[in-house]
Amino acid sequence: MEYEFAECFEKLSGVAHKVDSEKAAAEKIAAICQEQDARCIALAGLPDSLVSQIEGLCSDLTVLKEPYATNELPGAIDKADLGVTGIAFAMAQSGTMVEATTNDATRLVSSLPRTHIGILHAEDIVDKYHDGAARLREVTEKNDSNLVITFISGPSRTGDIELILSLGVHGPAACHAVIIDTQN
Amino acid sequence: MSNDRYPKMYQQVNEALAEPEKSEMLLRCMKRGRDTRKVALESLPGGADFRDDVRKSKERCIDNHIELKERFIKNVKKRGVKVFEAKTGADAIKYCMDIAQKRGVKNIAKSKSLTTDEIEFNKPFIENGIEIVETDLGELIIQLVNERPFHLVFPSVHKLTPEVAEIFSKETGEKVEGNIPAIMTAVRKYLRPIFLNAEIGVTGANIGVAETGAICIETNEGNARLVSSIGSCHICIVGMEKIVETVEDAMLMVLAHPVSASGQLPTTYVTWMHGRSPLGEGEGGEPRESHIVILDNGRTEMFEDPVLRESTYCIRCGACTNVCPTFGILGGHKFGYLYPGPMGVGWTAGVHGQDHAADIAHYCVSCGLCKEYCPAKIDMPHIIAEVKYRDAQKNGYPRVNKVMMGADKAAALGSATAPLSNLALNNKPLRKIMEKTIGLSADRKLPPFARKTFMKHFHQRTSQVTDPQREVAFFVDVFANYNDPALGLAAVDALEELGCKVIVPPQEVSGYPYIAYGDMGSARKTAAANVEKLIPYVKQGIDVVAIEPTASSSLVESYPVLLRDNQDARLLADKTFELFEYLVRIEDETGKTPSSKLSEMFVSQKFGFHCACHQRPLGSGKGAMEWLRRRGAEVELIETGTCCGMGGTFGLKAGPLGYELSKKMGEKLCTMFKEAAVDAIVTESSVCSIQLAEGTGLPVYHPLQLLGAGGK
Repeated sequence: MEYEFAECFEKLSGVAHKVDSEKAAAEKIAAICQEQDARCIALAGLPDSLVSQIEGLCSDLTVLKEPYATNELPGAIDKADLGVTGIAFAMAQSGTMVEATTNDATRLVSSLPRTHIGILHAEDIVDKYHDGAARLREVTEKNDSNLVITFISGPSRTGDIELILSLGVHGPAACHAVIIDTQN
Repeated sequence: MSNDRYPKMYQQVNEALAEPEKSEMLLRCMKRGRDTRKVALESLPGGADFRDDVRKSKERCIDNHIELKERFIKNVKKRGVKVFEAKTGADAIKYCMDIAQKRGVKNIAKSKSLTTDEIEFNKPFIENGIEIVETDLGELIIQLVNERPFHLVFPSVHKLTPEVAEIFSKETGEKVEGNIPAIMTAVRKYLRPIFLNAEIGVTGANIGVAETGAICIETNEGNARLVSSIGSCHICIVGMEKIVETVEDAMLMVLAHPVSASGQLPTTYVTWMHGRSPLGEGEGGEPRESHIVILDNGRTEMFEDPVLRESTYCIRCGACTNVCPTFGILGGHKFGYLYPGPMGVGWTAGVHGQDHAADIAHYCVSCGLCKEYCPAKIDMPHIIAEVKYRDAQKNGYPRVNKVMMGADKAAALGSATAPLSNLALNNKPLRKIMEKTIGLSADRKLPPFARKTFMKHFHQRTSQVTDPQREVAFFVDVFANYNDPALGLAAVDALEELGCKVIVPPQEVSGYPYIAYGDMGSARKTAAANVEKLIPYVKQGIDVVAIEPTASSSLVESYPVLLRDNQDARLLADKTFELFEYLVRIEDETGKTPSSKLSEMFVSQKFGFHCACHQRPLGSGKGAMEWLRRRGAEVELIETGTCCGMGGTFGLKAGPLGYELSKKMGEKLCTMFKEAAVDAIVTESSVCSIQLAEGTGLPVYHPLQLLGAGGK
């Protein structure tokens, strides 16, 4: 399933990475930060343990994290070169990561910076696109007030000029999926 | 309006023909849409079967639209969102304007929404000194030059890189280099403060989900994410018809839309908004709110109109515009009011009025491809025919259209007066006079009439079948009867060879030109007459086989729609087959190997097959190609995926709204045939063959004409 997801996601100009632990995920994130020459990164929707490992590995960078102060938004997150968000589940067939959040700060973390990294667990990848419906309903039922679910299938793209594919016109020009698989 | 409609349309076509570079870009865009759709369909387990699911889902949701809207509103309100039901576009605009003015708003960021285009949303805000910026790149480009979308999915496809660079240089006051990466950098820099400073974000919604109270917004650029998350106030404007029942319905639409539009599975970003979320935590910031405006603007009347109701199944994917032959030449500025192309005719009739719809309906050549590509299988050809009909009720039919609708009577006369009539057809000065008087193009080389019709030949002929295995009722239509009876007889021979006893029951012509030119009364009358004449045979278990693709498609596709609720029409449709599809099936069933062979002269030749548009919902020409291959022919399908441009009798008409447009529409396909290194073209359609012979200079044959004299 991870393989199929990765294959589809990469067809859509995304980059998929498989790691075997949360620690390895943090290392991968740090490596991507270095590659992209990121100075400031923003995190949202991640477990505390992962946040502290990222902070540890990226001590030379400015690391923005939750809670984000309302009165500093959206400007604060706009300063980030790279955003990392947690992914609720993914659909292999279409190469889609699904982000679910009750705070719009998370959406800014995955849509303002030039690079977005989604963190997901291998067991949260469903096979077929239509299998996503049940997961979607489950998430919706757990949140009877506000909630935003976002399908993310690669970086921001446009073909509006001469049909030529261009990435990153508004949001991320690069989109990574870091898949944590502790089983294999 | 009515008196100058046609001269205006001629002028529009002439203008489009004078700007081939615009059309060139559009044709590339459409072709890419068709090609990527084809690839995407291959990746779906059921291929195009998802269209049945979409159709069923839309039918159910529109049938229950009142209840679903109430459930949607209840669930949306539960999540703290304010709902306004707008009867008209003006009501919707006033509601939003009041919000903006109450909040003292100066900046609005907007993501792409055809529903807001429908009601010309932006203008009043700009007039009131409120900045409202389109953030989808294509929409932004045309907003900056004050134009309307040229294409539904790619609104600025007619603007090439240097012009776009120029537009942004002018807007930003900084020189933008004429290459795409430079433009992207400039656009990102230009739009970022617009996103960050927006006080209100306005979006449309592709879907409203009654079950969960969610709205669903699809983009590839991700601009709707920023528009809907930053401004303290979010307003979503959604058409009533977009509300579906369940999450599963919504997931289906989220797939169907991009598959049909651009061959993607979901678009890059799909935002499912449930209520309004806070932005960050702690003090500061304005209270955040969200409004959903549910727009009626004529939709209730559309739901109640027996023909326009089906238009409300539209999910705005633009697949119909990607396949429409006239749209490819004219573009959305000409073939469109505010909604463009085939889907635009029904929607314009529904929300902007019959008169505006009639202005564009007559561009349709009734090839029927839009219906074949539509993810909701909307019968746009029928909807457009109805708009033409309603127009004719008020303004009558132009003479040339009346002539074309009477083509069968002209053919009967031509046959009765042959060979004199053929001298007339070949007489240039006479043809020029005919062009001036009845509007028949003098540039078309028309097939000669036969003095003795197929009907006469057939009834003087003795059947070759001694031990009939089955009976078949043969439907002949105009061409094989009056122009080429030998072809009809060859079809009878081919059926008899397989043990079929062929009957030619009393019958009318198919009457498709009535649909094409919007004489629905005569279309229904003809359909009813044919059903009445043929159904006794069908009820005895006799299959109907038609030789002309348009005739098969009339019986199978059109009659059940024209004669709604007529069970006999449905039964006739189920038992009507295309000739070659039928022959191949009987060969398979009986295990008979063909005794007929290709004529010597064709043995080493290579053939390019042309599939007539009206065959696409039937066998797509697969039967004819298989039948030829079984006889040793080397034949390959050559297609652009759209119409050859003849459009039945459309291409026989003189002038811009006939021959000239028709020629232009056929250019790409003719080039493909010429470049394919084939010796000849094969097609089953008697009218496509005229266009292809003229456009390619290649010989064009009916499959039956490739058989040797020895074989039958």
